[in-house]
Amino acid sequence: MKHTPITPRPLATLAHVDLTTRRVEISETPPDVVRKFVGGRGLNMYYLYKYLKPNTDALAPANPLILGTGILTGTGAPNSGRHSVTTKSPESGILGDSNIGGFLGPELRYAGIDRLLITGKADKPVYLYVEDGRVEIRDAQGYWGTNCTEATTRFKNALGADVEVELIGTAGENQVRYAATRYGLKNSAGRCGTGAVWGSKNLKAVVARGNRGLPLAHPEEFFAKAVELRKYLQQSKVIQVLGRVGTPLLYDVSNYLGAIRTHNSQKTTFEDTLNAEEIHHYVDKMLSCAGCVVHCRHRNSLGGEGPEYTSEVLVGANIGVSDTAQVIELQNIVNELGLDVSSVGTYLAWAIELYERGMLDKKMTDGKELRFGDYATLKRLIYDIAARRGLGDLLAEGSRLVDRFPGAEGFLIAIKGLPQSDPHDVRYLKGFALGIATSSRGADHLRSRPTLEIFDLPAEFTQQVYGQPVDPNPTSYRSKAVVVTFSETIYAVVDCVGICKFICHGFNSPRNLNYDHFRELIYLATGLEFSKEELVNVGRRVVDLERVINMREGITRKDDTLPARYFDETMTGRKTQGHHIDRAQFAQMLDEFYALHGWDKEGQPPRERVAEFEAL
Amino acid sequence: MMKQIYANPDLCTGCKLCSIACATTKFGVANPRKGAIIVRQNLYARYEFQSLCRHCDPAPCMDACMTGCIERDANGVVRLDASRCVGCWMCVMVCPYDAIARDLEIQVARKCDLCPDRAAPACVTVCPTEALMWAEAGVQNVKRET
Repeated sequence: MKHTPITPRPLATLAHVDLTTRRVEISETPPDVVRKFVGGRGLNMYYLYKYLKPNTDALAPANPLILGTGILTGTGAPNSGRHSVTTKSPESGILGDSNIGGFLGPELRYAGIDRLLITGKADKPVYLYVEDGRVEIRDAQGYWGTNCTEATTRFKNALGADVEVELIGTAGENQVRYAATRYGLKNSAGRCGTGAVWGSKNLKAVVARGNRGLPLAHPEEFFAKAVELRKYLQQSKVIQVLGRVGTPLLYDVSNYLGAIRTHNSQKTTFEDTLNAEEIHHYVDKMLSCAGCVVHCRHRNSLGGEGPEYTSEVLVGANIGVSDTAQVIELQNIVNELGLDVSSVGTYLAWAIELYERGMLDKKMTDGKELRFGDYATLKRLIYDIAARRGLGDLLAEGSRLVDRFPGAEGFLIAIKGLPQSDPHDVRYLKGFALGIATSSRGADHLRSRPTLEIFDLPAEFTQQVYGQPVDPNPTSYRSKAVVVTFSETIYAVVDCVGICKFICHGFNSPRNLNYDHFRELIYLATGLEFSKEELVNVGRRVVDLERVINMREGITRKDDTLPARYFDETMTGRKTQGHHIDRAQFAQMLDEFYALHGWDKEGQPPRERVAEFEAL
Repeated sequence: MMKQIYANPDLCTGCKLCSIACATTKFGVANPRKGAIIVRQNLYARYEFQSLCRHCDPAPCMDACMTGCIERDANGVVRLDASRCVGCWMCVMVCPYDAIARDLEIQVARKCDLCPDRAAPACVTVCPTEALMWAEAGVQNVKRET
């Protein structure tokens, strides 16, 4: 019954939209470039490298904004609903890249557009409408000024309930430097202030409807493989628990250990009110993104989705709010306004500590007292940040404020200008510390976090995970460079493929999808054959290219470091008490990390690699 | 007795793998819009459920089809021959369960044929949460067969 005429399509397509001239050009990404970068984050970096001129202002029209799907996005492979949003970050001033679930990525592919490269600035608010091989720039003045729920609902009312919408809230319109790109109630390309870049271009939304079939090279075999892998994944205990309670499962483990970021990392234990079981009283149902077999997303009974482990800690423990319902409410608000919860929670806690230390006075706080746990004041402040009102306007500048408050930088839990997203205090887990210090987008755990370190696993087991013997003791500095490099490489590949990290080998379990699974799926979907080594090299190439982009923006070895507090102050809680990061041993880990990458002592990739990129 | 697909919307998480699997096994492509099972979700109204064909008897879509491309086969399955469909959408309009999809790429209707060549329909096989079951008509609370 295969009588459907299939609209022929190249392996990867690019729509270059110039909002200033209102021109749209659709082209094919050359197949040899696809072989080098696969898709998703990798191809986005290729285009960022080509289109971003060094030292461009991130909020200027010249900054390219790229939405790119993975090579398996939308195919029906397990958890293949993801795409990456890539730009220069207005928050950190370096590479900005954020991965998002939901349904827009697959829809773009069904519409025949695998990647949007958006440059320039529209003279008034617009949205992009993508359908079946075409991209239209349409008027969005009637949508400007609305937040995520209202805007999405209006788009669906106007264009049909079946369109997929990704957009910014008022925070993005107001160019809050850590505004997020949002799909639905919670899915976010949250990190690096991607939403502020949409706002700076007067771009409110991307709306897609795709009626075309995405051709699969070996459909029956692909279907059988997808079913087989779904069954395989669902045997994993971690996947089962994630599907039941979501990421808050990590709160209990980390708090028991004494590694929860609390009161701006002045403490490392918090209350049991944020345990997964407590959160679950507020969960109506667990939901999936496109093609997801895990369903880790909570539909909460307070009108939103979430919380994730990150959000419950960042707008919970870190700002001292312990009431379960209040924490869920705060993260619902953050999501609705279109902000990044990791940055919001970090900056609020920072501001409170600065106030307590007398570095922020009442003139700057609009007469407010800032205290940990003051739910009402902090809630109002979140609205003020999105609207850029009073103190909120100041805080909307984020990590840039360190220049205005001498001495304040030491209390900001951020690296390379990006607040830490991981709710774990990394002073105990040395691998986590190295990971956030070296991540290409700043203090972020989704680039390279060797999550399994938290579980104190036996040596045979870690050898199985990392393919070589490593020191299984999480507090040891030895061989952590190996663990982080392994994770960094495979996570880069999974981001290129368009699959969620929750089913990626090493992120949650050694029994998740690995390079061999990816190459089988890519072959069955596209007919392209990759060896395992080739895929590993894709991961390394992406990591190197990101390094080169960042060095072009001025990043050097001195930026691969940690917040001062992690070196100079010790942890307060339970098993972690007394732990901190030793500067000399940290420097040695960093040396090993560079050596494993083939970078020199300053973290500079070799000349041949740079030449390879220059020839692209 | 005829086997049918039964849906439990409480277990549906909205992943749309069922619709994608239908398109993949029938037409060799991925796109839930080409699937003959439709997941309807509204994150703001907070629901999701599967719309699927009941193979009604009598079947309103059969009566409404002006080209006669919808017919009941010897096993009682209501089937649509897309090569004779002209995309008038009469069947879509009269279906009481809103279970006929429109393939807008080539303007033909898509409806479920219960995958006669498979051990179980592809949508049932792929569902990660057992929100779809393959069972004898009228039998309650059965474990799915895949």
